[in-house]
Amino acid sequence: MMWLSSGFLFRSGKSFYHRIDPRVKLLCSILMFVCAIIARFVYEIAIVVAFVLGVAAAAKALRRVGRTVAFTSLFSVLIFGLNFFVTRDLESSVLYAARFVGIVVSTSLFFVTTSPDELEQVMKTFRLPRDIVFAFVTAVRFVPVLMLDAMQIMDAQKSRGLEMQKGNVLRRIRSMVPVLVPLVVTSVVRSGELAEAMESRAYGAVPRPTSLVQYRARAADKVVAVAALLLFALTAYSFYVVLPPLGL
Amino acid sequence: MIEFEGVSFVHPTGVKALDGVTLKVGGGETVAVVGENGAGKTTLVKHVTGLLKPSKGRVLVDGVATTATTTAELSRKVGVAFQNPDHQLFSESVEAEMAFALRNFGFSEELVERRVAWGLELFGLTEYRASSPLVLSGGEKKRLTLACILAWDPQVVILDEPTVGQDALQKERLAETIRMLTSTGKTILVVSHDIEFLWPIQPRVVVMKSGKVVGDGRAAEVMAQKGLLESARVAQPQLVSFHGALRSRPTSPFVDPAEARRWIAGERR
Repeated sequence: MMWLSSGFLFRSGKSFYHRIDPRVKLLCSILMFVCAIIARFVYEIAIVVAFVLGVAAAAKALRRVGRTVAFTSLFSVLIFGLNFFVTRDLESSVLYAARFVGIVVSTSLFFVTTSPDELEQVMKTFRLPRDIVFAFVTAVRFVPVLMLDAMQIMDAQKSRGLEMQKGNVLRRIRSMVPVLVPLVVTSVVRSGELAEAMESRAYGAVPRPTSLVQYRARAADKVVAVAALLLFALTAYSFYVVLPPLGL
Repeated sequence: MIEFEGVSFVHPTGVKALDGVTLKVGGGETVAVVGENGAGKTTLVKHVTGLLKPSKGRVLVDGVATTATTTAELSRKVGVAFQNPDHQLFSESVEAEMAFALRNFGFSEELVERRVAWGLELFGLTEYRASSPLVLSGGEKKRLTLACILAWDPQVVILDEPTVGQDALQKERLAETIRMLTSTGKTILVVSHDIEFLWPIQPRVVVMKSGKVVGDGRAAEVMAQKGLLESARVAQPQLVSFHGALRSRPTSPFVDPAEARRWIAGERR
């Protein structure tokens, strides 16, 4: 579980992609995301996913993004099953499941290569309300902490004879209650403590606090942004005009 | 009762938390595991419960290798009170919290009721029987987690930093409980930084440093080795260092007169 979910977490790196302006990385991820949405066939989505994995490999984050693929595959199976159950259409069910993988993988590349601090700056650039930015970035920052909490809670409950891997699905779901309740309680307590700590350090004292970091796009960032937009236009054109309409 | 045979453990991140630990804890022994943060103390005790399996070597609990059994099965013999009580409390009442493990182990309802009543009485929690465990104070929560474990009467009791958040009186009561458990033949492992708490209990002390056992012996022997304790970043008990200071200054009436004469002779020379 820990292995799978770490696919969404940032780890610092020195690759070219890591060093790109985070706003440009966001643009790239949005374009890849849109490509996954506009793709009409499974093989087109496969091209998008392969491209994302290629960029991840260049950014030396392939293993992490690969974990995201493994993680989302579990959900895409569920999406496929539900779609097929309702529509009885194999092709559209596979397409929806594949599209989900494409969407999540393209956003995962952004989160894996962008630190919470950079994410905060990007959100501030878009002039989003400070409270929303802070809440979102704090949530991202606390994901590893929550995962660690969950592991410790599971350890504690297993030590009290809780069998989490035995029994039918219903029993397994029920066995999650002793893990989820302490996890929610500790998270709520922690968020209350964090709010108090922030207020005691003058959070909200001025409407527009100053910022240490000011992003300025370099020439390389501009080149990447233009290249990404051109590639997107080319991909969209290929999807709708050049590439043949193939089924599964 | 517990045997570590050349146990090494490497975390998935690549950090070596235990490095060739060989240790034998007999039934009925009280052992304190001390050492700086990151020395491998908690990793060591997590091997006893089977929460962690050794990368190398093996851990035997009552003759059974932890790799050959599950944590749930091992927990019938080994009870652990983790450092943070908030990580295990979830039930709607203190009573239900205590009964949770007992029901997991398949105790009869009659026995569950008896054990719960006994545990609540022992730890002074009877008045909170119907209260939510989440509204208890830090010290009460800690006592509840210990009561939860003792309720199923495990042979081995592991206490991970039991004194964190406890006031002086609660620490004293905890030390009393440990002595009581020792007298009933329980094997106790205490992981703690609180040397002043451990000293009056006089346990066997295992000193850990960088995943290795660097000291092991009776409390009086180990705590007298200032160099060893300093290298493991463990403070000497105040009483021991005071005694050491008195011994080096023969102005105290507690110093053996012959020793004082020899010291004076040495000073004159």
